[in-house]
Amino acid sequence: MYSRERVNAALRHQRCDRVPFDFALGFSPYQLDQFRIRTGQDDPDAYFGADVRGTGISPTRKLNQYTAYLDPSTLPEHAYVDEWGQGHIPTVSHDQYHSHLEGYVYPMLALHTREEALGYPLPDIEAEYRYESARRAIARYHDQGLAVMAGMACTIFEQAWYLRSMELLLMDFVDNPEFATALLDRITQKRVIQAERFAELKPDVIMFGDDVATQRGMLMSVPMWRRWLKPRLARILAAARHVNQDVLIFYHTDGNATAIVPDLIEIGVQILNPIQPECMDPFALKRMYGKQLSFWGTLGTQSTLPFGTPDDVRRDIQLRCQIVGKDGGLLIAPTHMVEPEVPWENLVAFVEAVKQYGQYK
Amino acid sequence: MFEPMEDLKQLYDAIVDGNAGRAKTLTTGAVAEGMNPQEILNKYMIPAMDEVGRRFEINEYFVPELLIAARAMKGALEILKPLLTATGAKPVGKVAIGTVKGDLHDIGKNLVSAMLEGGGFEIIDLGVDVTPDKFVAAVKDRGADVVALSALLTTTMPSMKTTIEGLKEAGVRDRVKVIIGGAPVTQKYADEIGADGYADNASAAVALTRGLVSK
Ligand code: B12
Repeated sequence: MYSRERVNAALRHQRCDRVPFDFALGFSPYQLDQFRIRTGQDDPDAYFGADVRGTGISPTRKLNQYTAYLDPSTLPEHAYVDEWGQGHIPTVSHDQYHSHLEGYVYPMLALHTREEALGYPLPDIEAEYRYESARRAIARYHDQGLAVMAGMACTIFEQAWYLRSMELLLMDFVDNPEFATALLDRITQKRVIQAERFAELKPDVIMFGDDVATQRGMLMSVPMWRRWLKPRLARILAAARHVNQDVLIFYHTDGNATAIVPDLIEIGVQILNPIQPECMDPFALKRMYGKQLSFWGTLGTQSTLPFGTPDDVRRDIQLRCQIVGKDGGLLIAPTHMVEPEVPWENLVAFVEAVKQYGQYK
Repeated sequence: MFEPMEDLKQLYDAIVDGNAGRAKTLTTGAVAEGMNPQEILNKYMIPAMDEVGRRFEINEYFVPELLIAARAMKGALEILKPLLTATGAKPVGKVAIGTVKGDLHDIGKNLVSAMLEGGGFEIIDLGVDVTPDKFVAAVKDRGADVVALSALLTTTMPSMKTTIEGLKEAGVRDRVKVIIGGAPVTQKYADEIGADGYADNASAAVALTRGLVSK
């Protein structure tokens, strides 16, 4: 069976040959180097036979000027500013092990009024020319029998706080609603068009997401999430669905977001990711929502993958395939990026175990 | 006429509700009336932050409510600080807090530090990506009684261990209590690396620290 059929069947709770898998956010640079040294190859997805490939929009050709918001002279030499105006400062003080870690500088810290939120330049993420490369990538992967996921995570909340800072945005929700409304609405408008454009390209899955939970539970109360984020997310998901009846709707949030799962299902989410098993129970979720929802992830990157033995990994995979993967509804993946401390043997055990225990009779 | 008890009950409410403007006005008023700053702090402000922490632990408050309460507390505290220093009042303890080497997550660390400050501790905030020698210096040169380490990544958790080793090598480990926390951190890990305490949230961190410094 081709990966593409497998992924589409499994995530629709239909019959297929085995549980599909992928590497979620991929390998951290250190892991990628180790992989290259070990295998002489460049692409872990191809090497291990992952079932899904990602695609996204191409770089902008109309870069906005953000110097009025983020004075370049205040940034260290190795910092860079992205197309949204957010500053990034990679950690350079340490070894290559930590090379992918970076700090953020927020360009909207000093703003206060609704007018200022409206005046801030946003990038042209919805412009048609930025979707040409995704169109080609989807065709190419489909030719190879692979499933494709178009990425537009950090959909609303995260993109907004990448500009405003999480603390200020959360406080705006309470005491500067005009500002927060203007900012979120502008981002939402662009995301609606982006969702339509991706849906038109017919990838198998569109990835939406915002981290709205911590290890202990929701970052904000459920009523606050329902007021600020749910209706906007619903609009964006509906836009994708309107254009394409078949595309699978994937939603990512870190942490324990059990409290909003019914709401997510209600607004059209079909796949939940990543289900950090250290704080969110994939088995209980399967029992409660397994008919309506599929699960993508579940292999803990804070526990088994970095710190377990290969046998621990195999046991985790076996349990997940048997219970969470029962009658479909599971794509196994690490719950986040494969960080430098993950032993090679555990990665191999992960892939072998899915291929062994994930078989459907 | 100024009713100290009445108005200060309102100060308590202003902090619990996260109303910074009101908290500052009421504090200024109380000070102008000659209320003892230490008493304003101990009887109204710290209990208000304790209430905020309690609500957070039972999931009645979430991060936004904690943030606005902490901002109100900070505003009021700013007014009291010079007066407290002038009267020679001592904080409950001095905490050097930071996110460990390699790690830049600071939202949790900032909340812990705000709650500790609200609990009457003096805070030395070392920021993020903090190397062990900076924690050592905070103990040696600035007299920290507690070292609080935050890590959100399995990749950077080992920096907690090296920080404790750094404190030992510098010969100051016995002088301080070390507490740790952050998403991947557990009590088990705290025991393994010889930390004195662990808490999984900002409010529990205050109770933990109080317990440790009173020993
Ligand atoms: C927000 C966030 C970010 C933000 C951080 C912004 C900032 N300025 O802090 C951004 C987007 C920048 C980010 C980046 C990354 N992140 Co991140 N991030 C998160 C997220 C979603 C929430 C963390 C948070 O802020 N929570 C809110 C606060 C209030 O909660 P808290 O931090 O848990 O703190 C509370 C308690 O833990 C405790 N506490 C915290 N510190 C201390 C200290 C003491 C002494 C005590 C007693 C208690 C205590 O009290 C706090 C308040 O109650 C978590 C998900 C999760 N499950 O936690 C991932 C998470 C931590 N990130 C993760 C990763 C992998 C990364 C990146 C490496 C991604 C990448 N590849 O680039 C980078 C690394 C950046 C770096 N160098 O540090 C992974 C880590 C996995 C692992 N293997 O460990 C997580 C767990 C997500 C996941 N699904 O797996 N991240």
